Amino acid sequence: MKNLRRRFVRTVLLVLGVVVVSGTLFSATIVMQSIQNSLRIGTYRLGADVLVVPEKYEASARNALLAGEPTSFYMKKDALDKVRAVDGVKNVSAQVFIQPASFSCCYSANVFIVGFDPRTDFTIKPWLEESIKTIPEGNEIVTGREIPVKVGDYIPFYGTEFKVVGTLEGTGMKFFDNTVFMPLETAYRMAEQSRKKARQVLNISSDDISAVLVQVKSDITPDRVAIRIEHDIPGVKAIVSDQVISTVRQQMFVLLRSIFLIVGVAWIMALLMIAVVFSMIVNERQREIGLMRAMGAKKSGIFRLIMSEAILLSGLGGILGVTVGGILVYSFKNLLIASLKMPYLWPSSFKIAVLVLGCIVLSIITGAIAALYPAYSVSKMEPYDAIRKGE
Amino acid sequence: MIEVRNLTKTYNIEGQVITAVDNVTLDVSEGEFVSIVGHSGSGKTTLLSLLGGLTRPDSGTVVMDGVNLWDIDDNRLSEFRNKKINFIFQFASLIPTLTVKENVCLPSVFGQYNAGVDEYAVRLLEMVGLSDKINSYPSQLSGGQQRRVAIARAFINTPKVILADEPTGDLDEETEKEIISIFNRMNADDKVTFIIVTHNTELAGQAKRQLRMSNGVLKEV
Ligand SMILES: Nc1ncnc2c1ncn2[C@@H]1O[C@H](COP(=O)(O)OP(=O)(O)OP(=O)(O)O)[C@@H](O)[C@H]1O
Ligand SMILES: [Mg+2]
Repeated sequence: MKNLRRRFVRTVLLVLGVVVVSGTLFSATIVMQSIQNSLRIGTYRLGADVLVVPEKYEASARNALLAGEPTSFYMKKDALDKVRAVDGVKNVSAQVFIQPASFSCCYSANVFIVGFDPRTDFTIKPWLEESIKTIPEGNEIVTGREIPVKVGDYIPFYGTEFKVVGTLEGTGMKFFDNTVFMPLETAYRMAEQSRKKARQVLNISSDDISAVLVQVKSDITPDRVAIRIEHDIPGVKAIVSDQVISTVRQQMFVLLRSIFLIVGVAWIMALLMIAVVFSMIVNERQREIGLMRAMGAKKSGIFRLIMSEAILLSGLGGILGVTVGGILVYSFKNLLIASLKMPYLWPSSFKIAVLVLGCIVLSIITGAIAALYPAYSVSKMEPYDAIRKGE
Repeated sequence: MIEVRNLTKTYNIEGQVITAVDNVTLDVSEGEFVSIVGHSGSGKTTLLSLLGGLTRPDSGTVVMDGVNLWDIDDNRLSEFRNKKINFIFQFASLIPTLTVKENVCLPSVFGQYNAGVDEYAVRLLEMVGLSDKINSYPSQLSGGQQRRVAIARAFINTPKVILADEPTGDLDEETEKEIISIFNRMNADDKVTFIIVTHNTELAGQAKRQLRMSNGVLKEV
């Protein structure tokens, strides 16, 4: 172990190699996990099989879902009844999306208002019932995690004051986390009153809706229903939520593949580097090793000595790599979300712990594999040979 | 104590066969003090390595303390070396990353005798006149001082046999005399068997039994 001290530069290089590999592996995996985690929770929260939106706004609707970019688009309310009439549709509910002019108190980031219909809703209501056990009525609202208000606060939108009656747990999807939920009727009333009260008028009538959320019957696939909807109703687009996810999955898979390719190459390089460095270290130490053998060290003892050095080094590298990777991902999380345009939610701490351990163990295994041959070959040398070759 | 029969060791360097040790037969009894002289390249170091079980002979046997060194497996041979034999090498043989005392104690790390080793190491270092260098590193010592550390280390496991290769190589005359007297004392008091390779006529001359090696062949003088 004391030998590490002497070959400082080489040791540092070696550790750094492991750091790079375990760091990239760890950060890449945790980012992927976070995105998947968020998608899973997000789509579960979305709760609708199909989302019907005006045809022209398909892209912004998808963007709103995935990246939480606020948007507003409207169609006439009769779409709701038309969708309900389509074969295979089980439940429908209308939602209206409103982009607030400004969030007057303190918050500048994107906030999104969603009006849902408490009478027909099957997506948000179960969530509210489950998590906060109240459904907003009148001028009451429920807010997503990222909105910096607490229960009991009052916030104004378009000239109307709203009371926060609940805050929701995070999903990692801005579509939920940056959203203010209010009943549909309340939203219409707010729009109407904005003509009198607000500086900026919200121009929607109670005949406007943004999207129709659809739950399909269990004997038919959402895809088929979506095709029927688009066929029966002109001017709408039916977004299948499974497809949104599978598209993202696919994008992620491509990304993932290139990242793991890079990690794989880096891993092989690290493996080779450790093997080379260890053969060098072992070569230089042949005489020492021969001496130790002369003084009674067993082959297995020498083998263990070198292996433990390798394990120590690569373990250290692994721990450092995970730490550095973790810090980087954590501190650049926002940049990452912005550039990936993907939802993001940290995995549970148990999963993170498993990942941390996995990366460290992998590093140690890497070090051990790389040192295996040098350790084996030097330990089986004749002591006299080792002493002479070391000269 | 040591029975050597027809020991031969050859090296093959680029097709050329060198017989470093040529059919050596030798009996050394317990507590004997044997010196070996010979020209450079005559095979002295190779012979010591064969005696100490550091390299396998091409043919012949070495039986020490009733044990045929090449009949037992490597683990038992290592244990045997650890308990019964110790070496003083021709070259610098200290581990540079360990302190003087740690170097002296090194054999104990490979065996199971830890009790009292530290105190004994200090006493041995006092004996070779290095009590003030106990916590120094080898690089901070002169060549002669390093050699004395190696000599102290040779006694740490209370060996029955000491195989010494030019042990007084780079020592001044006075230290040399002290080392010789230490060897003599160990030989007389503890019945330690010494086989010493040397160019030093004084050291060779005061050995009770003197051997000469030339071209791998060992002869009594
Ligand atoms: N491992 C080896 N591989 C090849 N040749 C060797 C090896 N060890 C020793 N020899 C050769 O065997 C011969 C005897 O070497 P050895 O080291 O035993 O001599 P020596 O008597 O100790 O010499 P010196 O007095 O210079 O130390 C030499 O010719 C040497 O080149
Ligand atoms: Mg020699």
